[in-house]
Amino acid sequence: MALLNRIYTDQEQMLDEVIHLGEEIVASSNLDALRENANLNGESFSGKMSKFGSEYAKWYANHFVMPNHLVQAIQDNIVYVHDLDQYAIGTTNCIFIPFDKLLAGGFNTGNGSVRPPNSIMTAMALVAIIFQSQQNAQYGGVSANKLDYDLAPYVSKSFVKYFRKGLDYFEEGDEAADLGEISMGRSDLQEQYPRTFKYASKETESETLQAAESLIHNLNTMSSRAGGQIPFTSINYGTCTSPEGQLVIQSLLKATMRGLGSGETPVFPIQIFKCKQGVNQEKEDPNYHLFLMAAECSAKRLYPNFANLDAPLNLQYYDPANPDTEFATMGCRTRVLSDRFGRNHLSGKGNLSFNTINLVKLGLEHGIALGRRREADERGFYRELKHYMDIATDGLLHRFEIQSRQKAKASDFMMREGVWEGGEHLSPDDQVGDLLKHGSLSIGFIGLAECMKALYGKHHGEDEEVYRKAYDLISYMRKYCDEQSKRHNLNITLFATPAEGLSGKFTKRDRAVYGKVSEIVDREYYTNSFHIPVYYTISAAKKIELEAPFHDLCNAGAISYIELDGNARNNPAAFINIVKFALSKQVSYFSINHPIDRCTSCGYEGIIGATCPSCGQHENDVHIRRLRRVTGYLTGDYQTRFNAAKQAEVRDRVKHGI
Amino acid sequence: MNICGYYPESINEGEGLRASIFISGCRHRCPGCFSPATWNFKYGELFTEERQAEIILDIKNNPLLSGVSILGGDPFFSAEEVNDFIDLLRQEAGPVPIWIYTGYTFEELLAMPGTPEFGLLERCDVLVDGRFIKNLRDPSLLYRGSSNQRIIRISESLAAQKVIDWEPLYSF
Repeated sequence: MALLNRIYTDQEQMLDEVIHLGEEIVASSNLDALRENANLNGESFSGKMSKFGSEYAKWYANHFVMPNHLVQAIQDNIVYVHDLDQYAIGTTNCIFIPFDKLLAGGFNTGNGSVRPPNSIMTAMALVAIIFQSQQNAQYGGVSANKLDYDLAPYVSKSFVKYFRKGLDYFEEGDEAADLGEISMGRSDLQEQYPRTFKYASKETESETLQAAESLIHNLNTMSSRAGGQIPFTSINYGTCTSPEGQLVIQSLLKATMRGLGSGETPVFPIQIFKCKQGVNQEKEDPNYHLFLMAAECSAKRLYPNFANLDAPLNLQYYDPANPDTEFATMGCRTRVLSDRFGRNHLSGKGNLSFNTINLVKLGLEHGIALGRRREADERGFYRELKHYMDIATDGLLHRFEIQSRQKAKASDFMMREGVWEGGEHLSPDDQVGDLLKHGSLSIGFIGLAECMKALYGKHHGEDEEVYRKAYDLISYMRKYCDEQSKRHNLNITLFATPAEGLSGKFTKRDRAVYGKVSEIVDREYYTNSFHIPVYYTISAAKKIELEAPFHDLCNAGAISYIELDGNARNNPAAFINIVKFALSKQVSYFSINHPIDRCTSCGYEGIIGATCPSCGQHENDVHIRRLRRVTGYLTGDYQTRFNAAKQAEVRDRVKHGI
Repeated sequence: MNICGYYPESINEGEGLRASIFISGCRHRCPGCFSPATWNFKYGELFTEERQAEIILDIKNNPLLSGVSILGGDPFFSAEEVNDFIDLLRQEAGPVPIWIYTGYTFEELLAMPGTPEFGLLERCDVLVDGRFIKNLRDPSLLYRGSSNQRIIRISESLAAQKVIDWEPLYSF
């Protein structure tokens, strides 16, 4: 194998590096590396085993796989290649799963085939199995973009079963009678067979709730992902208006509110409630009661988040007759909707990979912050930005080539079962490139706020003119992505990077170069994508108004948050008003963060200071579990699972509603 | 008059997102009060015209607010000045709904017609009334500290000459 990367040519130095990698993992000495991902317990045996694989794979990609100029850009600390450990082997990132298709036709996990389910209980059990099987065919998130529609037919199957039994039990009719299509919405059947209908409805409701509870338990307990991780699952729902679909939504929300075994807040799946005018936004809408219930659930459990189907960038693809065109997200915010090859729907494709640009360093190099000049050197800034975006694009294309060359059998379940649309038509040895082109390649960015501060002395929350410059910058990046899409005939999109592992990495290395630069490189993290800094005091409304226009630019996905202090579950009006306001401002994906503390002694949930308001125990004597959100995912207890940068970011968050 | 706290956005002192203003000074002196420092009329900062203008501007410019909450201390011990502030606020920012907290009961206030205290009652929309009683403390109560305290719709109650309880817009 030729040594591609000439930055390190010293063989001895390379050997030292490899040995050092192993030593750190064995000794758990680099806590930040171990906690890079809040969902992985890097101090466990299986966590360490997986670290061995991933750390070596990264090292290998650096030295032998990636193009030189990409490695250089990484060294420069301006480009970051996400999930580098998967680069060399060509794994893809994430996917929306066509559950309707997989459930209707049955599937094969590799060890055996599974028949289509005949009840909602079995269907929900199979949803967990499909998530799990798909998870290991790629490295990122797995999402259900319309779980209410996907599962409604199985609620019907359960209902029919109970209804036919009921006819017999209550002697209201013949069990085998031809009654047309029996469903929960048939008021004629309800009138004609009242006892049977009531029995069947009650049994179906109870079975669906049990099924939802078991799904949520399964998705929190199957540590089947490499390194003992739980699959990164997301479920989207909220728009299906059949009684069966409504029951699915209601049951998922109820089960989430009930919590896990001892009532604790479930960390998975990420749940997203899809908001649509005319469906669930006003009193007269058929699913309005479910929107209210979603708000209640979110105020109690942090999920669901809210997806905005009416935001212009999402509405343009919306076809009311096809739920697969309804905007949905991977929980972390990834958006995949349009496709230049015509698959303008969600399921059966996903993001392939993304590279992120460190805007802060470019700002420091060309701005006024370091005292090198009095006015920002905008020409120099844009010249260099383009240079690095070119490299980031090259990196995506190079990686795409590797991904394209992979055989269908490498992503086994994903292709064989047609989870990726069309995969079922490939032979195991066929290359997957022609199908992968429907996915997206994304360029992300981080630290717009600090970049502006470095360039102009103020960030985009502080000054209107700087805000316009910030907006122009992100518009430029979007335009660049659109042009590259045309040029390479691929879906190249702009991403508001969540940057869980990245939030502190760029900062740490920039600090080594520039030292502490006041209000730019003086914290342990850079601000998430285009967000107004969490430490900046601003009203909730203003934050939403300023961030909303950026959602329209980030076609690979973005999220906005509002931090609430106080017990959100006690003030439904505040919660609902804020969500509705964000939706009205065209925020594409929205969520409210609020603290949920849990006393492990008495089980009280709410806000707990030093002592539990319910049982009076002090935090020195009992463990208070403090649940917080990081980059869209919840994590069990932020003080033990977050990396240092994210812990600092949580401490700094300015809350609304003290 | 002094104020001893101002939160431009709060979810803990009434329904919706509200601006909360705490007026210094209280003579009820309830045992177990969560902030006895605020009994002192000199506590906090002087509520100057500039500060009032600032706060009114915040309220006017915040489309997410459901209204304003006035707490203390006990604002009814500074009723005249609070009345002036409310009039100014509404002159500048329109018909802002106001929740007001007091240690007096609704019945006690009802027996003071013609006073600035009664005027303050009439100006507001919702009253959270009654002294804090330590052994009736219940952290699970909405927007109040002890279970003797009530949340009252003022204009309806005045019209009916008896307490009409407030009902939440949405309840979880």
